[in-house]
Parts: sequence; C-alpha cells; structure tokens
Amino acid sequence: MFLLLWAISFVAPSQNQDTVKLDQVEVYAPALDRFAQGQKVLSWEKAELNDYQGRSLGDILQEQSPVFVRQYGAGMIASPSFRGTSAGHTAVFWNGLPINSPSLGQSDLSILPISAIDQVSLQFGNAGALFGNEAIGGSIHLGTQTQFGKGFHAGISQQIGSFGMFNSSAFAGFSSKNFSSKTKVYREFSKNNFPYKDLGQHGTPEVKQDHAQFEQIGIVQDLAWNLNENNQLKTAFWWNKTNREVQPVIGSNTKDEQEDQAFRAVIDYFHFKEKSVWNLKTGFVRNEQTFNSSENNSTQYFIAGDWDHQISTKWASKLGARYTLTKGDLSTYQTDDDRIELYQSTKFLASENLSFALNLRQLVYSGTFAPFTPNLGMDWSFWNRNSQSLQLKTSIGKGFKVPTLNDRFWNPGGNPDLLPEESLSGEIGLTWIKTGNLNWTQGLTFYKMSVNNWIIWLPKGSFWTPENIKKVDNQGIEYQGSLDGSFGTWDWKLTTSYTYSKAVTTKGTDENDQSVSKQLPYTPQHQANAKIRIEKNGYSAIASTFYVGERSVTADNPRMMPSFQLFNFGLAYDKLEIGMLQVPLSFQINNVFDTDYQVLYLRAMPGRSFQFNLSITI
Amino acid sequence: MKLNQLLWASALISVSFACSDSGEEKPLGKYDNGILIMNEGNFGTNDGEVYHLNQNTEELLPNIFEAENLRPFAGLLEDIVLEADRLYLVANTGKVEIVNPADFKSLGAVSAELDQPRSLAVNGSKLFISDYGPYNASYATPDSYVAVVNGLDGGVVSKKIEVSNKPEDLFSHGNFIIVAGSEENKIEIIDATQEVVVSTIDLEASPKQFYAVGNVLWIYAVATDEVIFYTVNLSSLTLGNTYTVPVANATSRIAFDGDDEMYVLTSSGWPDYNDAVVNIDIEGSSATFTELMTGSGFYGIGYDHNLDQVYVSNSNGFQGNGTVTVLSETGSVVRTFEVGRGPSGFLIY
Repeated sequence: MFLLLWAISFVAPSQNQDTVKLDQVEVYAPALDRFAQGQKVLSWEKAELNDYQGRSLGDILQEQSPVFVRQYGAGMIASPSFRGTSAGHTAVFWNGLPINSPSLGQSDLSILPISAIDQVSLQFGNAGALFGNEAIGGSIHLGTQTQFGKGFHAGISQQIGSFGMFNSSAFAGFSSKNFSSKTKVYREFSKNNFPYKDLGQHGTPEVKQDHAQFEQIGIVQDLAWNLNENNQLKTAFWWNKTNREVQPVIGSNTKDEQEDQAFRAVIDYFHFKEKSVWNLKTGFVRNEQTFNSSENNSTQYFIAGDWDHQISTKWASKLGARYTLTKGDLSTYQTDDDRIELYQSTKFLASENLSFALNLRQLVYSGTFAPFTPNLGMDWSFWNRNSQSLQLKTSIGKGFKVPTLNDRFWNPGGNPDLLPEESLSGEIGLTWIKTGNLNWTQGLTFYKMSVNNWIIWLPKGSFWTPENIKKVDNQGIEYQGSLDGSFGTWDWKLTTSYTYSKAVTTKGTDENDQSVSKQLPYTPQHQANAKIRIEKNGYSAIASTFYVGERSVTADNPRMMPSFQLFNFGLAYDKLEIGMLQVPLSFQINNVFDTDYQVLYLRAMPGRSFQFNLSITI
Repeated sequence: MKLNQLLWASALISVSFACSDSGEEKPLGKYDNGILIMNEGNFGTNDGEVYHLNQNTEELLPNIFEAENLRPFAGLLEDIVLEADRLYLVANTGKVEIVNPADFKSLGAVSAELDQPRSLAVNGSKLFISDYGPYNASYATPDSYVAVVNGLDGGVVSKKIEVSNKPEDLFSHGNFIIVAGSEENKIEIIDATQEVVVSTIDLEASPKQFYAVGNVLWIYAVATDEVIFYTVNLSSLTLGNTYTVPVANATSRIAFDGDDEMYVLTSSGWPDYNDAVVNIDIEGSSATFTELMTGSGFYGIGYDHNLDQVYVSNSNGFQGNGTVTVLSETGSVVRTFEVGRGPSGFLIY
C-alpha cells in the first residue's frame, strides 16, 4: 500500500485503452512519490547501496544523509534521529509493512543489513497522514525489487576486512514475462576485536575489544506472478537472525549477549483497472529478542486494502484501511493490541508545474482514538528558464505516536493511561536545478516542528514509569547539493549536505527541570557530509567524509561530547569479465585517518579498517 | 592526626565512607579541605565523578577526577574511602581507582578480577575489597567475596575470600576485617593475615554501615519497619547493646553527627515514593526520631560538623545532574545547588 506498484500507463494514460498492459509494468513509484507533495524525500537505488554492501542501514544513514545515528558501538544498536527527534519518532517500513518493534516502538538499524535490501527511501518530517504511527521525525522505506523478463541471473559476493570481518552472500533469480523469483542468502560476521584506548584504566593502555562479536544470517525470498493482464500477486519473505556480544561501555566488564530474530512476510495482490489499482495486502512480522536469558517476543498480523483511483487528468485519490493485530509476549507481560486505521489521499494537479496533496488518517488502537492527522503539501516548479529551474516544496501536517506496548504494559511501571504523542510541523524547501556541462542541484529546506505529550520514563522509587510530560520544539535547516560533470574522459560527481538542527525542551518535568530551553541529549546541532566520486572505463574512486558536531550526554547539557569528522576512501573496478562472468572488485578504507572518536559517551568505536570485496555474477 | 580528629573524621564520613585509622601531618593540598561530593553516575553511561565543595566560600569544582587526570572516571562510583593517605574510589562497574587526596592525581588502580566492588578497607599493606561477585542467570549474587590486594597503590587480586551474599561496608581493626553481610543479615570477621573468615555474628536486620567511636563499633542495620543499631566491643569482637528505632522504609544511607545523632534517608516505595530525612537521637537506652524534610528522589546524605549542617542530595531521576540541598540541624533549607549525575554521598573533612 505504501510502496505501491504503479503502472506506467497511469502517468500517461492513453485515451482508448481498456486495460493496463502488464508487460509495461516496470516502473515502480511508491506512494512516497505519488502523494508526498511538499515532503522532502531522499532515495538510494541498488547501485548506490552497493557501496555499502556488508554494512548496515545505520552506516549509510549516518554517512550519506542528514539523519544522526546513535551508535552504541561497532555493530551495536544504532537508532535514527531525524530532525532532532528520537528513534521512536521514525516509522520504518519494509515493502509497505511497518516493522518497528511494537514493544519498543523503534528499529535497530544495525540489524537491517544493506545486503537484504534493494532500495531505500527516506522521508523527512511529519507524515502521520501518509504513513501513520511514529512518522513524526521522518520515515524509512525499505524494499525489494521485482523484475520480469530478465531470465536467469545469479551471483556470489565475498568480503574480507579488518577485525575479523567475513561476509558472504549469494543470490539467484529467474524471471519470465509472467513469473519472477529471487532468492538471497547472506551471512555477516565480525569479530570486532578492534584496538581502542581504554580511558577507564590507569595509564589509558591500548586494548583490544574482546566482547563485541557480531554474526548475522538471513534469507530473502521474492516471488511475483502476473496472473493475467489485470492481476498480479507479489510476495516477499525475510528472515534475519543476529547474535551479538554486547559491547560494554568503557569502564564496565559486562558480558551481555543478545539475539534478535525477525520473520517478515508480505503478500500483495494487485488488480489493475483502466484508471485505478486495487491493492490487497496481508503480512506478518515476528520479532524475537533474547537479552541474556530474558525473552521478549511479539507478532503483528496485518491486513489492508486500498484503492488508488485516477479520477481525471487533474485529480487522483487513494482510499485505504488497515487492521493490525499485535500479540506481545514480553518477559514481564503478555498483551494483545488491535488497531484499525483509515486513510485518504487526494492529489490535485493544478498545472504541469503545480500540484497539491491532501492526506488524512485516523487510527484507533484498542478502542482509543489517536489524534486525527491531516497533511497538506504542495510542489511548485515556479521558474523554468532554458536549462534552469526552481522548485518550491512546502507542507504542513500532523503526526502521532501511540504509546508502545512497553510504555503501556511493562510490569512494573507501565502506564495504560498514557496519551499518544502529537506533533505539528511545517516545512518549506527550495531547489535550484541547472543542467549543462555541469549539472547542479542545490536545495535548502527549513522546518519547524513541535511535539506535545512527549513520553518520558521517570524513576519513581525503585520503578520507572512513563508519563506524557515534555514538550519539545525543533527547527532547522537542511542543505543538500550535488554537482556533476566531466573532466576529459573522467566523470565526476560531488554531493554535499549540511544540517542545522535545534531541538529544545520547552516544557520539562517540573519547574526545576534543568533541560528546559536546552538542546536534546545526543542531538548534534551541526552535521555535514560530502562525497566525491570519479569514474572512467569501469574504474571508480570514492572519497567521502562526514562531520558530527558537539552533542550533550544528558538533557541538561553539562557534559558535551566533542565533535568528530571521519573520512572513507574506496576504489573499484567493475568491468572485469571472465568468460560469461562479471567480476566486480572493490577495496575500501573506513576511518582513513584512524580518528579516535565516540558517538555516545564511553562507547568505543573502531579506528582505521580495510575491506576487500569480490563478487562474481552471471 | 590526633585521635580526636580521627574520631571526628570517621564520624563525619557519611554514607558508606569507611574511616581512616592512620595518617600523618603534611601541607594541605587543593582538595584536602572541604567536602567531596560523590556522584555515582548513570547506569550504562559510567559517568560517575567527584565534585569538590569549599563550604565556606561555596566554590564548587566539578569533575575533579577528569580535571586532574585528563581521562574520564569511566565507572559508577559506589564509595570513596580515605585510608592510608590515599583516596580509594570504588566503582561498582569493576575497579578501584586510587588517588592522592591532596591533588586527586592517580596513584594506581585495581582493575582486573573485580566484579561489583562495594567498599574497601586497609589493613597493614593489604587492601580488602567487598564485592557482590557476578550476577547469575536470576540476578542473584551467590558468589560474593572480599578480594585481597597486596599493595596500598593497587595491583592484582591475590585472593578472593568467600563471604555471605552482598557484602557492603568493611571495617579494619587490629588484625581483623569486619564485613557487613547485607543480604543474609550477618557480620563476618576476617583474619587479615590468614585471609579467612574466622567468625560470624547473626543479626536481626540487614547491616549497611559501620561507625566507630573509641573502642565501640556501631552497626547500622535496616529492617522493613525499623532500624537497629548494634554495638560491637572491638576488644572482644562481641555484640553489646541493641537499639531498635521504629523508622520504616529506611535506606542504607546514613550520616552521623558524632554526638549520638544520626540522619537517615527513608523511602516509602510504591505507590507514593515519599522520601524523607529522619533525625534519630539515641540517649541512654532510648531512641527518638523526627522527620526533618520530605520530598522525592533523595539519594545521599552527609553531615558537616564544621557548620553543623546536613547535606541531602537528590538524583533528579538521573535524567541529568542532581542537586544538593543544605539543611540546618533543625531542617530549614540553607541553599540548594547543582552537582553531578546521581549524587550519592559526601566525604566531609
């Protein structure tokens, strides 16, 4: 429903066509593009993701986007912070299914491997109307891709790197005109025995990390059938299991171990009509987490349907509903939770250069109404001269976060009377595009947001209990630029970004709360990244850097973590062929200058590391 | 140090600060006077630290361990013990840092082989460290011990003496180390030369802190509805008097004013979590108590005999820095100021 397959014929509907020709169904346009007018979206396709093979979603977000990723060590929990919000304010979808843990209300990006994903899109800002629960700071959309008529293809890939990194993956796929199957298997392993300076010891000796081993295995299976000219069935299945030694904070010698296992499955049925598409979707997500001997499991069942209708050349509409049943079996409680949500999106194309979208959503959880969430957005390409154009994107909307199962039911301390968090935000962005010998894209976005009823866990004697206490105001500027051109026979591309984010508590726990009017903890005000890539005849070199500014450890800001900047470098050759086989090779160095840094206080991070990648594909 | 001063020092060291039984006169260093504020730090963050307060000028120096040693303390600070001209900073995350009390410069550490150290005592040239031992699968600590280190500036653990579960405060006297066995309501006596438990005394409540006056050792012990003060004759190492005071929900935090008065933190627990500072006065064979202040989040207590003031710290829920409130002996608030994360006790010279 969210990453809705969209027929190319709709974009340019022909006058007297009765049915959509399914062999034309090759262009996939997610709802993100269709009804997200006014929203800032950033996407990576397979080719760009290839540079991050063997790494996690957290790495690409940290290094290539304005998102700040709170990393608890190498290969350890990594949680996203969009626009100064917390991990619980980011909705995460896989093939349109929301996959945040229902008990924690967030996702750990370190166990979402790039190897299992074909495309990633990030949407920034409130999109409660378009994407529902938890889409306050932004949302992450992961997907696998289906192709038809490509025959047989297969490949294996091996990576060897520093600190015991040994990643293997293989895929095989077959597609005919009406059937498509692709299977991927992977295993990622790292000893993570990187050296670091032990600040907790007298004399700060250099020691090797000895409790951060990471092992992850998984399988992804995609299947799709074109049943006939009007009907398509798609399924995807993803099993992922991660075993980790939890890296202790410097100064502690804890030996915690964590296993995370996720089963995710989705079935989509599409029925194409002349000017509309029906989509029925069902799926389930099961999360099993074992921390030492404590088990926390949950299962979510989804059933949803929507109808996307091109009313006229100017008007389009989508109407949908989803039912979710969650069964939580946590170490301290068992509970069921059901949710029903209705949503409606309308797009109006006023002219070729001006479009509007109005999105509405109402969710009801366990009989309680979440805040009604409307969103209005506009894209306006208001200035076009020869090779230049200026585009304005603006939107205003609401978002919400239903208290998580742990917030409501954790024993002891869970608070069933919690209200959903509620947010209101607006943004305006301007993009300048110039094409020619040099291609320029320069974009600047200003956003403002406030989150009310922010849930915070506070100690009450020996228990902690969550309350709707805080109010947080965020505002900031995001700059995104790219420039590409040629230099002789060399092609080059430079991408840059800078983010300023001010996220302050405006209402605290009480009148003595020292966090009021201060920046939220672990929320850098400044962040930037840059990447340059040059290519010639299959050879390519990439140099990239990212900078993370100062950030505080606690909400009252007495202790600041120093800023840091890291550099990565890579070389690749992708034209090597042996017979029918393609053998792309690449080599990369992460943290080239061996910079000593911590993202979170006293969480050791690795210095310089090397990685060699070899793939064979047919 | 004269005996009298020594007694004062021991009397004024609050919470689980053990007392000094040796020491020599020497020029005063930057931190030799005043109040050390122990900030436990937040679980999972290891941001324990020490603040120094000059109570006369009200000058407060933050994070003095990091300031003087150019590295973070990197631990949860459980106890500070002043003995043998050294300050022992006991981190329950598994180490003891040893610093010079005058300038806070690092002298050494015990960093390997410890699990969850709680307190420390010096006997001769040996360190004795009480340690809960590792948690088992059900978060119990069946392997608690007292670790022995040969050398006042730290080093390796040479022996682990098995004791009852969850040992807390230690007291060194003569050739003996007296152990507060908090979970099994026991006092265990270790022969410091042979490094074995030679006798045990059973109590009716959970022993938390020791406090010596002359040849008498006071034991502060806690039960659900009352607190019990025991005395131990240090010559014979046998129990003497018992004073039972009906103060409910007492915590392990206590400060002594050195004159038969004590200040105890209580907490009502679920569902109201009302905390209080209770003043207990023992005269003759009877004890009376009065509530001095109520609130929520009280985490440590100390008594400054120089100005006759009570120091009460508040953890503010560990959300950020804690605060300290200074009270007069009658409970009126003198002032309040911000300190480090999770302030849990005071060492008042």
